[in-house]
Amino acid sequence: MDSILNVVVLSRMQFALTAIFHILWPILTTGMAIYLVVVEGLWLKTRNVDYYRHARFWSKLYVLNFSIGVATGIPMEFQFGSNWAPLSESIGDFFGSILGFEATMAFMLEAGFLGIMLFGWERVHPVIHYLATIMVAFGANLSTFWILTANSWMQTPAGGQFVDGKFVVIDYFQAIQSPFMVTSFFHMFFATLETSMFVIGGISAWYILSDRHSAFFAKSLKIVLAGAIAITPLQIYVGDESAKQVYHYQPTKLAAMEAQWETIPAGESADWSIVAWPNGRAEKNDWDIKAPNGLSYLLEFKPTLSEPVQGLKEWPPENRPRMVSLIYYSFRIMSGIGFFFAGLMLWSVLQWLRGKLSSDTIAQQRWLMRGWILAAPLGYIAVEAGWIVRCVGRQPWAVYGEIRTVDAASNLPIGSVLTSLLGFSAIYTLLFVSALYFGSRIIRQGPNLELEPPGLDRPPALETSPAEHTPDQRPLEAQQ
Amino acid sequence: METLSYLLPQVWFVILGIFLLLYVMLDGFDLGVGILSITASNEERRSILMTSLGNIWDANETWLVLMGGALFGAFPLAYATILNALYIPVILMLFGLIFRAVAFEFREYSNRKLFWNIAFGAGSFMAALGQGLALGGVLEGIAVDEAGHFIGGPWDWLSFQSVLTALTLIQGYVLIGSTYLILKTEGELQKTHYGTAKIAAFTTLIGAILITIATPIFYQSARARLFAQPQVYVFALIPILGVLLIGLLIRSLNRSQEVTPFIWTILIFLLSFIGLGMIAFPYIIPTEITIYEAAAAPSSLVFMLIFVGILIPIMVFYNIYQYVVFRGKVVGSSYGE
Repeated sequence: MDSILNVVVLSRMQFALTAIFHILWPILTTGMAIYLVVVEGLWLKTRNVDYYRHARFWSKLYVLNFSIGVATGIPMEFQFGSNWAPLSESIGDFFGSILGFEATMAFMLEAGFLGIMLFGWERVHPVIHYLATIMVAFGANLSTFWILTANSWMQTPAGGQFVDGKFVVIDYFQAIQSPFMVTSFFHMFFATLETSMFVIGGISAWYILSDRHSAFFAKSLKIVLAGAIAITPLQIYVGDESAKQVYHYQPTKLAAMEAQWETIPAGESADWSIVAWPNGRAEKNDWDIKAPNGLSYLLEFKPTLSEPVQGLKEWPPENRPRMVSLIYYSFRIMSGIGFFFAGLMLWSVLQWLRGKLSSDTIAQQRWLMRGWILAAPLGYIAVEAGWIVRCVGRQPWAVYGEIRTVDAASNLPIGSVLTSLLGFSAIYTLLFVSALYFGSRIIRQGPNLELEPPGLDRPPALETSPAEHTPDQRPLEAQQ
Repeated sequence: METLSYLLPQVWFVILGIFLLLYVMLDGFDLGVGILSITASNEERRSILMTSLGNIWDANETWLVLMGGALFGAFPLAYATILNALYIPVILMLFGLIFRAVAFEFREYSNRKLFWNIAFGAGSFMAALGQGLALGGVLEGIAVDEAGHFIGGPWDWLSFQSVLTALTLIQGYVLIGSTYLILKTEGELQKTHYGTAKIAAFTTLIGAILITIATPIFYQSARARLFAQPQVYVFALIPILGVLLIGLLIRSLNRSQEVTPFIWTILIFLLSFIGLGMIAFPYIIPTEITIYEAAAAPSSLVFMLIFVGILIPIMVFYNIYQYVVFRGKVVGSSYGE
């Protein structure tokens, strides 16, 4: 038992490490793919060459992230079988099909058109190229949909029943539309958009602040700002809806998110704790600061609750999540960042309306630009924190209420898992450092403002010249 | 209903076979070019090699993801047991795939290309080695209890036969990589790969002969199936066709043809594949669990078949389109005419 427990811990650590690392790359690329669709569309519509250069510049960062996303995504799929064999066998009929759908519908679509999007500028007609860009963006976001479908089902299993520990599907569409699915998908969809918009905006602000190509990057900043006007409030709304669903479907997670040890009965008002020091051993918070009636308003928007908020002590310790502080603070970090984004958006819109974001005055908005630079990494932190709440908060269950994580893990030798875990840690550290290094190199190098677009009217013939863009030309640009 | 519960697993066995075959052929030349890049004599040549893959490596690798997803959904028991049993070769393959995938971008921006050159070449080799060892390990059989759960040790897959399979697969990848480069390059570089293709054709042939001899000697269950009437006539046909194809391949290499070597190599892969499939069928976890025992519920198989089945021709279509867009020789570090 003891050795099995250790393997479970190691397999969990490996899954957490590989998932936390993998998600860093697709959250940027899925959102940025939509941005690329927008700028390429603007180029086709206005024929303003700046938009074409935006598409070319940002796609450099796109492909850097994309290749790491692909490389680190494959281990995610194979780990279900290698480290979580009992789970895979038990839920494969549904869960496996969904991963199969993701691969066939989403991944292949993205991969099949990526080459044309990156290297096909001179080889296909601009309209065909635009279709390729749209397919890449569509594939990427479809993959978000299927992954969130699969994960939501693990949170709120539906559409069938467990017979002898094996999930038997009765209604596939009901299983796909598990209670969490719609809100979870939109929460993640907006999260990828928010992260990539504030990354693009932050990098643009850095150029503006360094007085490099200010007019050029004022364009990208305004595009993402326009997106942020819609997305940041919507994300807060969807996040709130998600929390309410957790309240109904996963009371143990809600109690951990709020570090609520005692049950608050129906009819009473519930305070919302702003800061607390949860003490797992004593099953209470050593101290906390509370906003009166806050939780009642958050959950039901009235001063008293119509349903009780169950405290952690309602469940025996083996049936509730541990690491309460981690879940509690992750939730607050995520929400705080969501509000910071909305605030930054409001401030920027205000300055925009006052006419202070025109290409010749934007560089004077130094504090606003610094705010955007600060915002660039925050989306990543919010997404990671949110997934920690979602998956650490689901414990001790792999499939909520049905399969315990300890029963889900493969019985592997400790040496094997420890070796692979150390291997992943070393490789991912190397990748992280390299990605930051090469990414900042691309940014420092800046856009190529001499780049001429392929002709819109003539069909770009294969006979005229060798393809102008290839990956190997980039180091040449670096020498400029 | 009774026939359906036989037919559906068979259909999915064939679909998985198609995905695996496409993967082994497409990422096969991809990994083969990666292994060959170790021998590239200068940076310019290495750049051409990598550019020839730049637009398609990701799609090629995605067939592996498709196969994993399809195996997970259609045969959950096999997915779980095989990956559990083959933990070490699978991790080896994953590490290799990570290194070679990131090398494409990192190498472009790096001033010290040597490190990423090694990552690309060695990563390709590791991935091919892991795949070969895993394939050999599966064919050899996996120790399972009556429920189909893995009960063996972490090194069960390691044996003379699995090493032989791995080495032969690597030779096969080098062969298909060389013939792909014959197709995509010209001049001195192309000449070099006529050479590597010839060497790889011989080494692959030797490996294939050894596997053909070793299979009935070492695998008792395979022996019974191979020599049973009337299959023995079909099985006997495979080595004969194989020798014929290798002969045609070597003739086309000697005549310096550009397209046909690649086609003969694909046919050699197809033939080996049909042979392996026939030996394995109907077992998905040799030598204990059949596809019928490991299959998901018929309703799952139908549900997946509707969605995935429709998409297979569409996926093949847009993948072919991508190859058409990037047809022609790679010149310097770009696509020429």
